[in-house]
Amino acid sequence: MNLILLAAVWGIVMMLSGLFIKKKENAVQLAFLGSLILAGGCFADLHEYAFIHSDFKGLLAYDKFSHLFLFIISIALILYIWLTGKEVVKVGNHPSEYFALLFFVMSGAGLVTLFNNLLILFLGIEILSIPLFILTGSDKRNLKSNEAALKYFLMGAFSTGILLLGIAFIYGATGSFQLVNYMMQGTEAAAIYHHIGLALILIALSFKVSAVPFHFWTPDVYDGAPTPFTSFMASIVKLAAFVGFAQLILNGFSSDSARIQSVVALLIAATLIIGNVAAVYQQSVKRMLAYSSIAQAGFMLMAVFASNDMARQGLLLYAAVYCLANIGIFAVLTKMKDYTYEGFNGLAAKNPFIAFCLTVFLMSLAGIPLTGGFFAKYFLLAAVVKVGGYLWLVITAVVFAAISVYYYFKVIQAMYFKPASDNSGLITAVGSSFKVGLLLAALLILLLGIFPYQLLLDVLTVY
Amino acid sequence: MNISEILFWFLSALAIGSALMMISSKNPVYSVLWLIIVFFAISGHYILLNAQFLAIVNIIVYAGAIMVLFLFVIMLMNLNAETEPRKNRWLKWAGTIAGGSLLLVLVAALRQVEQSGADKAVGEGNAGLIQNLGMVLFKDYVLPFEISSILFLSAMVGAVVIGKKGD
Repeated sequence: MNLILLAAVWGIVMMLSGLFIKKKENAVQLAFLGSLILAGGCFADLHEYAFIHSDFKGLLAYDKFSHLFLFIISIALILYIWLTGKEVVKVGNHPSEYFALLFFVMSGAGLVTLFNNLLILFLGIEILSIPLFILTGSDKRNLKSNEAALKYFLMGAFSTGILLLGIAFIYGATGSFQLVNYMMQGTEAAAIYHHIGLALILIALSFKVSAVPFHFWTPDVYDGAPTPFTSFMASIVKLAAFVGFAQLILNGFSSDSARIQSVVALLIAATLIIGNVAAVYQQSVKRMLAYSSIAQAGFMLMAVFASNDMARQGLLLYAAVYCLANIGIFAVLTKMKDYTYEGFNGLAAKNPFIAFCLTVFLMSLAGIPLTGGFFAKYFLLAAVVKVGGYLWLVITAVVFAAISVYYYFKVIQAMYFKPASDNSGLITAVGSSFKVGLLLAALLILLLGIFPYQLLLDVLTVY
Repeated sequence: MNISEILFWFLSALAIGSALMMISSKNPVYSVLWLIIVFFAISGHYILLNAQFLAIVNIIVYAGAIMVLFLFVIMLMNLNAETEPRKNRWLKWAGTIAGGSLLLVLVAALRQVEQSGADKAVGEGNAGLIQNLGMVLFKDYVLPFEISSILFLSAMVGAVVIGKKGD
């Protein structure tokens, strides 16, 4: 609850600060302060110090898992503003407003994590998406950015409609928006409405997390949006949508889990296949990362599929590792002259430190041992094995994780084994604070790869 | 089949039929007109459920907002005298609104004829009155009520960011 309140308040503070702030850089500092406050609030929540202790008549549900997740994304926000804040300012004339929108998105992320009522889920998803439509189109002179924003907006509005229709059907079947009520379904006659509603909600949420076959917007939007905002979309927002999805299935529809599993298993397989195969053929690293985020969505969907304790732990670990790695990679990408693979040629010779950090991030995304990505994938696969009966899914996932190594290592190969050219390398030399931030992210990923249980210890004792 | 059931089926058929006509008609102006009929039919449903406040708000907000949308469509599509006779259009407007209002009056009158059926459907039958709505909104649903202001605020900030001159 602290996060929702603080993020909303700080969003308004950022919005009003646009009046008083003369130097654009000061907006970054103010936003950084806000992200620290958010992280403090989340930390207090973890130890049950909250401004408001009410659950608003059951509209919200608090548990250790969601608080830990919110703490993770608030840490990710600190790193995001640390590494990418200066680039956010360069996008356009409204830095305070961009940060205000980012903070509003954070409060939406809080809602989709803590909801116990479909109404809150809907509001959360909307607060998560509407600022993103705007941020996608914030590079107003760029035609690609405009196209991406319009596409995202139209598709997003459509999927919102589907989500609402699904919620309405569920309401018709059970007479309530409350999640716990769906555990005990309505009457037999209303079962058909329940199924229709569930299917529609699944479709809408699959769109939000860009699972195949609802992924078509992702490459264009990720590619067209200004890179700092792509970073935000691909890390924090994506994870928040996933946690919302997983919470919904676990808390609301566990009685339907067998039926959901058969559908979600197909979604996972399709997402892994299309995402990974398409990523192999990309020329631009930014577009490759968009497809890789689809492919990673396949793995994260396993948390929705399995919805057991193992899956929740895996999702938490995935959240931490994936956010850190993506924020790090995109932060470097914003500093690159050229977004193609050739742009990375010879980076290791010029900037060995940045190349090393980038290697850690890419290896973590690929799931190489000793990085956090390995354990994140391991936990989710183990969760699927624990469900039983879906061995083909595990094998598919492992095969395509191996394929993903190819396109991640193509970047590493370019950095270390190819000579630099005029078009490659960074635009300007990076400051030491940027390097410290990157180092921090890389260290956290390595730490999570060596001691994954340290993060999960709290959760393990709860479940 | 009593009178409120007849009304219910009539309104449902009207709403679905108009919605289909809305998406199938080629002329955007016709689409908007059909959409307004859909809103009126849904308002009729609200009245059947004894939710007068929602019914009125539905008309004010939706028919009002749609009217603005309608103007935007005319401006964006640059519909001029050749494609759409001016007099005719206003006649259609007046006809749609007058007909829809008449429909609401009829619904309101007819539901008095046979009270019990509609009331059973919503328990006490006064769930939609303004007082009860306010009580629920500010007691049970205060969080979504307040948090939706963040949603609107972000939409407003976005409108300014996108709409302002310059980068």
